[in-house]
Amino acid sequence: MAGKDQEIPQQTSNSHSPEKNDTKGVWFIAEHKDGKLEKAAFLLAGECKSLAAKLGEETAAIIMGHQIKDLATEFAPYAIDKAFVIADKRLEKYTGDTYVDALEQVVNLNKPSIILFATTPMGNDLAPRLAARLKVGLISRYTEIEVAKDKKLTARRPIHGGKAQATVLILRKPLVATVDPQSLTLQKSSAVKEPQVIECTVNIDSKNNKTRLLDYLKADPCAVCVSEAEIVIGVGKGLACADNLKPIEELARILGASIGGSRRATDERWIVDERRIGLTGKTIAPRLYLICGISGAFHHTLSIKGSQLMVAINTDRNAPIAKLADLVLVGDMQQIIPELTKQLREVMNPTT
Amino acid sequence: MKIIVCIKQVPDPTIVKFNIETGALDNIRYILDPVDEVAVSEAIKIRERDGGKVTVISLGPPRVEEALRTCLKMGADEAIHLCDEAFDNLDVYSTSIVLAKFVAKRQYDLILCGRESIDEGTGFLGAGIAEWLSLPLVTAVTRLDIFADTRTARVHRRLKGGDREILECQLPAVFTVESVLRKPVYPPLKTILAGLKKSVTKIDAKSLGIDPRSIEPATAVVGISQPKPRLKKTATIDSKLSAHERMKLLMSGGTQQKGSKTIEKAPQQAVTELIQFLIANGIISKQ
Repeated sequence: MAGKDQEIPQQTSNSHSPEKNDTKGVWFIAEHKDGKLEKAAFLLAGECKSLAAKLGEETAAIIMGHQIKDLATEFAPYAIDKAFVIADKRLEKYTGDTYVDALEQVVNLNKPSIILFATTPMGNDLAPRLAARLKVGLISRYTEIEVAKDKKLTARRPIHGGKAQATVLILRKPLVATVDPQSLTLQKSSAVKEPQVIECTVNIDSKNNKTRLLDYLKADPCAVCVSEAEIVIGVGKGLACADNLKPIEELARILGASIGGSRRATDERWIVDERRIGLTGKTIAPRLYLICGISGAFHHTLSIKGSQLMVAINTDRNAPIAKLADLVLVGDMQQIIPELTKQLREVMNPTT
Repeated sequence: MKIIVCIKQVPDPTIVKFNIETGALDNIRYILDPVDEVAVSEAIKIRERDGGKVTVISLGPPRVEEALRTCLKMGADEAIHLCDEAFDNLDVYSTSIVLAKFVAKRQYDLILCGRESIDEGTGFLGAGIAEWLSLPLVTAVTRLDIFADTRTARVHRRLKGGDREILECQLPAVFTVESVLRKPVYPPLKTILAGLKKSVTKIDAKSLGIDPRSIEPATAVVGISQPKPRLKKTATIDSKLSAHERMKLLMSGGTQQKGSKTIEKAPQQAVTELIQFLIANGIISKQ
């Protein structure tokens, strides 16, 4: 492998020197799926706007993919200044190599000062690639970006699992950063303004693509690890016996949920140890956590705080879980679960 | 298979604390980063099947030797410690350059590292090394199959909600692994004893051919502080509560009123309301 040495950057010759303050614009990568922008894109738009206001620069969304022309108009309520649309057949599916090639060309042409990504599977993959390509640093999962008078940027981000936070000075622009969209709030603008669409043509050499996408494995939601699942059903002492798990499993299949449980549920061998949620088990952050017959001791609740929506079913209306949950159904889970399954069947498409 | 694993020594995240008085970290016990332990284990498994050599490398102050020794005891063949005063306080960007300079001089088929470290968690190192050496890169790997005969790798990459993407690439390549890839190996006593006899090779900036002054970091940590507590939505404390309850709420920093709602009705009606709630929040959709 000798002879490749010269490709490692000699740092003295860098095109993005801090003295040349010629970077302009706050950008974010807008992810989309099935012809629709993801919610994270709108959340980033708001964050982008407040950063741009601090810097006194323009905001721009980057939309990459194939047949994505009309997506930019969806940003109208957020009053984004520009939308760079990079449409190409070869960008139809995400691959790190082609995306970073395309993005690099647009970035080098327009020289933005900040490029934001969401902490999604794509953002987490593309952001470090782009940072390396531009020979700048990467700030992951920042909580705050401050702009000094001389437009120098500092970022704050949690380290050591959130036990401390680091203040990091950015020495070279552009700043490539990722942010957790869940920590942001939607900020609609008072004025509706469609962004100025800039269609970018890029040279993509498929030879540069060093990896080949072979297949996509769709997970069975019921089999997925509780820490990765979108919907989780948690069972606890209220389950009473292993036979009562049957209706829960039926409900899980309809909801597309993964079943987890408290320490009690695993100790009683109602569910396997790998599905324990809590201090001695997994930490979860699903979209919905349906809590059945778990009182809510802190050993358990410590690990469920990331859940977006919590619904508790409990016979005790004063159980600690009632204070934490968004919705509490007071009643016996043995009666409520089969009823829920029955009504869900009527409401939902039988195929989902 | 010649496998290089980049490892990091980190303060044990379960016990480390931030001391407000001194403004520094307290209770530091250094360990091998758990995700790197997984990467080393994977490398050892590959070597057991296909033969070859596992080299672990790390950049850092003298204390890092301990983490490298841990890897030797796990069964790694060789440990390289890039140790120089000039390397103190390098950011991850510069670290990736120094590591790439070292790796470029070696023969290798596979470079493994953790997707992100447990302490700083930037997740840049793998991408940096792959870029500097123009190698294929796959991040967030949850399964790694190496085909020694065709010199290719087939990997599973973690996506949202348990979904996976299967990718294929030529070797040599860089893979950043997820901790779910496998359980760390439990080395037999024989391997541990053999590991104790191996030594850690120290390499400084001069023998690497790096001029310390040419290292220009991209970011600089200017300070660490106590994390800001997340803003809690506090509601006015309910005057109907007893004095004791109100005191308790005040002491705990106010109630976290999430607009929680309680339904106490017959199952049929309760469930109907629950379903409406789920539809309103976009969890399920009507046919």
